[in-house]
Amino acid sequence: MNPLLDVEVKTIRQLTPLVREFTFAAVDGKLPRFSAGSHVQVHLPVPGRALRNAYSLLGDPSEPSSYRIAVRLQDDSRGGSRFLHEQVKEGDRLQLSPPANLFAPSSQARHHVLVAGGIGITPFLAYIAELERRGASFELHYACRGGLTDAYRAELAERLGERFHAYDAAAGRRLDLGEALAERPLGSHVYVCGPQALIDDVRETAARLGWADKRVHWEAFAAAEPGSPFVAELASSGKRIEVPGDTSLLEALEQAGVEVPNLCRGGVCGQCTTPFLKGEVEHRDSYLSEEERTTALMPCVSRGRCGSTLTLDL
Amino acid sequence: MSHEAAGTMASKPVYAPLPETILPASRRLLVVQNATLQAAADLHERLQSAGQPLTMLSLQGDAGQGCNDPQMLETKLRDLLSWSPVGTRLYVCGDESFLWQVSALARNAGLLGEEIELIKTGERREMYCVHCSTRQSIGAEGETVCTGCGVHLLVRDHFSQRLGAYMGVCIDPDHPHGEDKA
Repeated sequence: MNPLLDVEVKTIRQLTPLVREFTFAAVDGKLPRFSAGSHVQVHLPVPGRALRNAYSLLGDPSEPSSYRIAVRLQDDSRGGSRFLHEQVKEGDRLQLSPPANLFAPSSQARHHVLVAGGIGITPFLAYIAELERRGASFELHYACRGGLTDAYRAELAERLGERFHAYDAAAGRRLDLGEALAERPLGSHVYVCGPQALIDDVRETAARLGWADKRVHWEAFAAAEPGSPFVAELASSGKRIEVPGDTSLLEALEQAGVEVPNLCRGGVCGQCTTPFLKGEVEHRDSYLSEEERTTALMPCVSRGRCGSTLTLDL
Repeated sequence: MSHEAAGTMASKPVYAPLPETILPASRRLLVVQNATLQAAADLHERLQSAGQPLTMLSLQGDAGQGCNDPQMLETKLRDLLSWSPVGTRLYVCGDESFLWQVSALARNAGLLGEEIELIKTGERREMYCVHCSTRQSIGAEGETVCTGCGVHLLVRDHFSQRLGAYMGVCIDPDHPHGEDKA
């Protein structure tokens, strides 16, 4: 495993009542470079828990002297976003896993259509810096709610001019994807980051209009949802690990000292796929096939059934 | 592409007689080598019944849009693709040489392989001599003589999608040169 990065919280900006921006700098040495679309896992020292949440890096990839993330306060938060909003102060130290990228812009695209929903704007801030440097053709569609989830809207409007389209739900404006994806030039690719409903909508609309799957890219940024408590048993050692309702199986394993390779912590990348031998699984990922699900699960989001014991092949 | 839809990763392309399912599209382009062939007519009818706008170009045998000249067909197709949106699907019907020439042009214009369906008619195909880089049109035969270097060649099932051609390699290690140089 890559060593963790020790960072200091340099600045905190409240962008909207729901969105806070954090700037991190290395405690010593330099931060690794990153590519547009990368994310880091922020290790959150929530008392009694070992929480790690993934956040997109939104700075300019050509200036990696600091990292910036923006965090939306989640209503159904398991504590991660609330901790960042309420506990973390400027000058505090945190640990990050090094950047990883599951959402890079296509090198083949001749035109990039970026679609953001709310806090899903974050990876595109890095995209825009990169695409502007390449002189690439692009447009940004931002579905948001004015005054709540419209972080960076004013500066984007000024910076991008006609390439920027905001749809403020508070003002009754809706993003019509049928319109946004119609008549785009032949080499276009579309990228979407936002709530699952928006991702589904982009994928369905693109498919209906005849976009090949390879032109459609998405990143779901939602973290694990809470569930019911259950017990995980390790087949090799017989060790039993209690998984509370507000903890993911991956986090429970990590707390018990079992390291499982992982990247997205959101059920999309497949890195943490773990075989199981016995038990009933509540699959919540969007990666494994039905067949794979009979013998494996993704512990970053999926869980054993309430009160049951799940035997992992670990 | 039809040979990918068939689930094979083998080098030699496998072609479906007609697209099994007509995939969703905003617009369809049909490019046929010879519009008088039954396969071309069947395909045209299938695509027309799918409902989206359909444009047909043909090299031979169509009174309306016939080009009669490969150069003119290329120019017309390039022009069509230059203002076509994403969601355009291209259907190409003809012999293997024709299919891959049109496919290469379309991919250069920004279409992806997944957005192109190839429907093969006839037996003509391209061969590329790996010794002298000469390309020539051949039929179904498994051996031939290179028109460039005169070497007796085995036509392999090794197909290059980039070149749109089968690889021809010297069939007899004891005769590595053409007859006139032996």
